[in-house]
Amino acid sequence: MMAEAETQKDDMLLEVKDLTVRFPVKRGGIFGGKSYLYAVDDISFEVKRGETLAIVGESGSGKTTAALAVARLVEAYSGTVRLGDEDFLALKDDDLRRARAKVQIIFQDPYASLNPRLRAEDIVSEPIESLNPLGKSERQTVIDGLFKDVGLRPEQQRLFPHQFSGGQRQRIGIARALATQPELIICDEPVSALDVAVQAQILNLLRKLQKERDLTFLFISHDLGVVQHMCDSIAVMYMGKIVEHADRKSLFNDPKHPYTQALLSAVPSVDAKRRRNTKRILIPGDPPDPINPPQGCRFANRCPIAEAKCNESQPPLREIKGGHKVACHLA
Amino acid sequence: MTVPLLKVENLRIELATRDGVAPVIDDLSLELGVGETLSFVGESGCGKSMTALAIMGLLPEKVGRIASGHIWFNGEDLTKADDARLRQIRGNEISMIFQEPMTSLNPVYTIGEQISEVLRRHKGLSQRQAHAKAIELLDAVRIPNPQARVDDYPHQMSGGQRQRVMIAIALACEPKILIADEPTTALDVTVQAQIFDLLRDLGQQTGTATILITHDMGAVAEMAERMIVMYAGRKAEEGPVDQVIDSPRHPYTKGLISCVPHLLDTLTDERPELTEIGGIVPSLRDFGKNECLFASRCTIADEKCRANRPPEAEFDNQQRSACWHAGQV
Repeated sequence: MMAEAETQKDDMLLEVKDLTVRFPVKRGGIFGGKSYLYAVDDISFEVKRGETLAIVGESGSGKTTAALAVARLVEAYSGTVRLGDEDFLALKDDDLRRARAKVQIIFQDPYASLNPRLRAEDIVSEPIESLNPLGKSERQTVIDGLFKDVGLRPEQQRLFPHQFSGGQRQRIGIARALATQPELIICDEPVSALDVAVQAQILNLLRKLQKERDLTFLFISHDLGVVQHMCDSIAVMYMGKIVEHADRKSLFNDPKHPYTQALLSAVPSVDAKRRRNTKRILIPGDPPDPINPPQGCRFANRCPIAEAKCNESQPPLREIKGGHKVACHLA
Repeated sequence: MTVPLLKVENLRIELATRDGVAPVIDDLSLELGVGETLSFVGESGCGKSMTALAIMGLLPEKVGRIASGHIWFNGEDLTKADDARLRQIRGNEISMIFQEPMTSLNPVYTIGEQISEVLRRHKGLSQRQAHAKAIELLDAVRIPNPQARVDDYPHQMSGGQRQRVMIAIALACEPKILIADEPTTALDVTVQAQIFDLLRDLGQQTGTATILITHDMGAVAEMAERMIVMYAGRKAEEGPVDQVIDSPRHPYTKGLISCVPHLLDTLTDERPELTEIGGIVPSLRDFGKNECLFASRCTIADEKCRANRPPEAEFDNQQRSACWHAGQV
């Protein structure tokens, strides 16, 4: 019995393989053919049950698109997403509805992601009604419990979103995400719209809920300080590709990819020791045009250590030591 | 002591609200020396941008006004200056970079025209001279191929490049003071690092004093020499950056620093709970009260804090804290 629970714990909840998302873009001119922008280009990653994988990267790197594709909110062009023992991308109709209850999202902007015409209780009960309908009194019990768990008072159920502060609104967003008892929650920049003092409350709440409910998080953020605090492993994305994927400690203490190194060195820190020991690696210029990505490594034109071969072929994501994967010819 | 470049004395700014008049800046004093970098830190609504707007003479008309106090710039009181004089100073001797590089450039003019405008207005350059100078400035803010880019429109540039253009405009007349209001909030970290480097280098070259408004303690530690922590329109703490971060003397400063997870030199398995600052900022209605406005969220507040506004306690190391218990924090 114990052993079984043990292996259960080690289970992968989410396995993403060769996921690609592309968007059609119009070329200029009447005869300009269709071409595609590969927002997410052939990425693979896994998340263990009860753990947090952070996807980091700068704007336009494809981190949000990747997460939305996992939740089937944008259509994947190819690849597979295994959730538990189901092929999530192949599900249809009722199976899909049932499975959707297992994947929920907390959005970035608590001011824009709550319907201003609904009362807080209706916002939270909406996913229950559409994904796993319950009887009226049962539903009320669930909602009462959710409000309590996210730190809102029962009488606040009757209020409208504009009557809440930013942090409280994000609590409603969290309660809504928890309503269908999901296994995987995608947190898309859940605190970046909040004031720093409120951020701490939300981050602590997320970690508490994760522990209590054995939740798995896919945590998307550009704030490396927050990521460092929240995650168990990290995938760094650059122009639709995962360039480095490792557990928290080895990624932050020993980054292997030149882009990750530059990214970490760019974070301003209050730690005087870190400031002394970090040499800032500046990466000049901008990323290349995503519609015509270069043949070779996509980071090569900004990379401080690029060589001729970097422009010729794309480096594959390969494991260099104990689970630490890097996509770089020179690492 | 030398005369400071900018001296704000007991500034009080009142904002007309539905519930009456609220002092959004309440008895604020500060000094800024030549070439110095000073940082304002605080949550949204604490008055840091309002102070900047007051210095620029850009308070929203009819809504906000300077009720009392003085802003001395080079011996001249800006609170008494008329609009024509303020126009002479703005963009010329004091200039400002705004938060949103996406919206603060005019989309229907080329960036060359927008940089030239400042130079022609304040320095009386001809169109041709101003154009040549604009190219020089674009080069100075490290935009590659400035000859060609000078005729681009803002939409042809990335966010980082637009912010560089804003910096070029702000520094065109070599101002004595540059106010940067959250200059990198909308940008990615690697771009932020480039902008900070640029601001630092240009500041050193031109001797411009900088006021950096931000909520990011890391950015403050990286960029500024002195900092002022604002809370609810009042100065909570002031002092040299390293000292304030190392040993804050105000419970609010302490909370602000420890509620954010920071990247440390070496990461360990340890991940303590983040310190929360409970409660929320007071509403505008409470702003003028004779009490410590932070008391309702403070863990060490007592009767005295709720009954009287704390005076500034000064420490030997030039740190100042508006807290009744500053000695114990």
